[in-house]
Amino acid sequence: MAEPAETVLEAGNLVKHYPLTRGVVLRKQVGAVKAVDGVDFRLGRGETLGIVGESGCGKSTVAKMLVNLERPTAGSIRYKGEDITRLSGRALKAVRRNIQMVFQDPYTSLNPRMTVGDIVGEPYDIHPEVAPKGDRRRRVQELLDVVGLNPEHINRYPHQFSGGQRQRIGIARGLALRPEVIVADEPVSALDVSVQAQVINLMDRLQKEFDLAYVFIAHDLSIVRHISDRVGVMYLGRIVETGTDTEIYDHPTHPYTQALLSAVPVPDPEARERRERIILSGDVPSPTNVPSGCRFRTRCWKARERCAREVPVLAVPEPFAADGGPAAHPSACHFAAEKQVVP
Amino acid sequence: MLLEVRDLHVEFHTRDGVVKAVNGVSYGVEAGETLAVLGESGSGKSVTAQAVMGILDMPPGRITRGKVVFRGRDLLGLREDERRRVRGAEMAMIFQDALSSLNPVLTVGDQLGEMFTVHRGMSRRDARAKAVELMDRVRIPAAWERVRQYPHQFSGGMRQRIMIAMALALEPALIIADEPTTALDVTVQAQVMELLAELRREYRMGLVLITHDLGVVADVADRIAVMYAGRIVESAPVHDIYKAPAHPYTRGLLDSIPRLDHKGRELYAIKGLPPHLTHVPPGCAFHPRCPLARDVCRTQEPPLYEVSPTRGSACHFWTECLDG
Amino acid sequence: MSDQPYDPERAVAATPAGGTVDVSLDAAETLQQGPNGPDGPAEERERPRSLWSDAWRDLRRNPVFIVSALVIAFLVLISLWPSAIASGSPLACDLSKARQGSQAGHPFGFDGQGCDVYTRTVYGARTSVAVGVLATLGVAVLGSVLGALAGFFGGVWDAVLSRVTDVFFAIPVVLGGLVLLSVITSSTIWPVIGFIVLLGWPQIFRISRGAVITAKQNDYVQAARALGASNARLVLRHIAPNAVAPVIVVATIALGTYISLEATLSYLGVGLKPPSVSWGIDISAASPYIRNAPHALLWPSGALAVTVLAFIMLGDAVRDALDPKLR
Repeated sequence: MAEPAETVLEAGNLVKHYPLTRGVVLRKQVGAVKAVDGVDFRLGRGETLGIVGESGCGKSTVAKMLVNLERPTAGSIRYKGEDITRLSGRALKAVRRNIQMVFQDPYTSLNPRMTVGDIVGEPYDIHPEVAPKGDRRRRVQELLDVVGLNPEHINRYPHQFSGGQRQRIGIARGLALRPEVIVADEPVSALDVSVQAQVINLMDRLQKEFDLAYVFIAHDLSIVRHISDRVGVMYLGRIVETGTDTEIYDHPTHPYTQALLSAVPVPDPEARERRERIILSGDVPSPTNVPSGCRFRTRCWKARERCAREVPVLAVPEPFAADGGPAAHPSACHFAAEKQVVP
Repeated sequence: MLLEVRDLHVEFHTRDGVVKAVNGVSYGVEAGETLAVLGESGSGKSVTAQAVMGILDMPPGRITRGKVVFRGRDLLGLREDERRRVRGAEMAMIFQDALSSLNPVLTVGDQLGEMFTVHRGMSRRDARAKAVELMDRVRIPAAWERVRQYPHQFSGGMRQRIMIAMALALEPALIIADEPTTALDVTVQAQVMELLAELRREYRMGLVLITHDLGVVADVADRIAVMYAGRIVESAPVHDIYKAPAHPYTRGLLDSIPRLDHKGRELYAIKGLPPHLTHVPPGCAFHPRCPLARDVCRTQEPPLYEVSPTRGSACHFWTECLDG
Repeated sequence: MSDQPYDPERAVAATPAGGTVDVSLDAAETLQQGPNGPDGPAEERERPRSLWSDAWRDLRRNPVFIVSALVIAFLVLISLWPSAIASGSPLACDLSKARQGSQAGHPFGFDGQGCDVYTRTVYGARTSVAVGVLATLGVAVLGSVLGALAGFFGGVWDAVLSRVTDVFFAIPVVLGGLVLLSVITSSTIWPVIGFIVLLGWPQIFRISRGAVITAKQNDYVQAARALGASNARLVLRHIAPNAVAPVIVVATIALGTYISLEATLSYLGVGLKPPSVSWGIDISAASPYIRNAPHALLWPSGALAVTVLAFIMLGDAVRDALDPKLR
């Protein structure tokens, strides 16, 4: 955490519950899927915030709320200080220009009936004030060039490209309106290993070139470390630990983060004898029926009676607060303790 | 040698030409050994496994050349009913997608028990008892209760355990696992891989692990065969390959993955894309993407050079690659 | 391609033989997942490719399509210009020739009223085709618009419209026709068309609703929404073009069944009424004489069967061509 950059995006106690209803005519709410249950973070200009977590932890729902595809049940999302969750109409449209999204699946995120030129140029159709009509074709070609595609392929259809190239098209579409924030939901997980590196390098380069802030959501902890300045670890709708990449990867204090990190296979056969694996028992509980107190306690080897009673807050744990070392970062655990798990 | 694949060629006949999915693949697995077959999509790793298992769709697929020698017999020469007896009883397969591989309208107990009633002629009651025992084996909690449940009532990780239990049921000598943990979360993936490794030791089975994940391979494999465009480009014991790859493709793959243990700068990216299988480049299939490529690579297909008695590389310039 | 040096940059950017690369490899890799595998790679290589151009390529090679399309083209031509192949009038009858067999100038013989069966069969095509095409148009427009509304907006729209279709599905078609059409005395084709549209739209509604819901879930619709696209834009540009194929397929097949429905209703006396000329009317009129003048029944029935079959076969062929999973 060097100089604190200007905050562009800030989430405050973000909540998304999907009601479970019974009955067709007389709808009655019988419960809720607590997809996201109180998430806070801030994102500085030009910075990358990585959000990691396993499937069902709510990370994709966070992404959708950030780009206004889902309305939060409670909480705020501030873009440069302005709460965008209650905006509509013209004001919402204006904000959307500045926060764009890159999707996971390069096969379903591009309309198969539109040419690449139409896809990348669509933002200009929706926001005609950004680019005068005569200028659009040139701009689209420029964008294609920027993401490493041949600008002459403007009239081709998505299926004529490979997965990695399609993801570049998706990125070009996201860049068209010159946003300040790009929310990327698993942008490389559908790609082959050798192509992943190409796309990650591209995203790195674009960040510097356009001073972009990324919210980078992924389940692959290695990729998140590579690209992120700060990382938030999510479990069952909440961030359980957050800090800089060194703080999280080299000095994790939350047991879930430790288990997650120790489970990641490291491409080094020498490490397999040396490494201590924390194998968690059981599965993630259902988000309709979240455990009381600490939501990780059902799988935690440290859990005690207190964990069922008291919800741990996401704050710097007391033992580390004084020393100010790398373990002094927010961690939502009553018994936070440093443990090095990455070889 | 438990299983030996020799010079296997598989083609697919399509309207617009012949897709050469596998072009002369050879590998071997000993009892108790784990061979990882590493490759990206389109490398032919799954097609090879399907040909070994005898579950390749023919047509459109066709095995044009090669042998699959399993416990001394060439499986490709067997009649279909003889092959069926080998499948399940002597070699079994685990797939990536456990949900679609299990029958949704039968309880898991019925599906596990079927292995015993059909192959072993057991009574339904005995088969049920066996099913519970197997579910215990793969550490499904409360097996005696859950044996009556349907596949959709299990989580992804538990379903994959059931798949493993089914594969293990008849105590086969060889298991082929095609991306068994790709669809699972890392913490669950760790559980499943650990289970698989343990069972393999216990039963002294051979394991062919098909994957694209270099991390998983480093964790569990004894030997690695790296595939590219339907050929094996490098084959070596696991420690050798990670220490010093002898093929530029392997090196590129290793350099292109971000590491958990250090942050690193810009990633190395292999340029270009894997070739289209109807238009595999002449000479070495990797030459258009290779930093070491020279004229000879464009015209001459490299054989699998012997790097050491246990190691091979299909690169004309493997010595250069080995030196970094 | 093998005779030129392989240039990676072009492979990335242009793939000399055209088309894409690793999509197709996926297909080859996952062959066990269905018959679509091996054709995948090949398909990718044609250059300006879309669902429609692909479908057209498939159709041109499909004998079923060629035969049914020729039959339908012929039907359309004779319904537009029946006098080109039948010189007489379908209403010029001579009772003295009633039930006579085939003779010079009258290849199909005469029916119970002494009318020329050949001429009546030719002119009957016009009615059948008109009823089929107009009813299908009505059904397709009404069903797909309402289906799109229900599928896109969901909620109350969907709940109400879906219950309404359930009600219509519960009405037995023939019984409904007997009840509703028996009170109408008009001898034009409009009451029959109206009735078919009324009972037919729920079928297209369901297809269109399902297709819209599927298309709506695609990420590209979400992407456009995130850009701030209006609902109209989402539906017209992103959803409709991707949802229209199944509607066309079902409508084509339905066209054949509507033609036979018209004949059924006319046979029962509640559809078209003389002096209209229709295969159903002729079949009805000829059925009492099936023993001594079978030709009067055979020709209109045969024409009806061939027509219905042609449309159903065409629909089948189009469905196969539009289904990417069969590639």
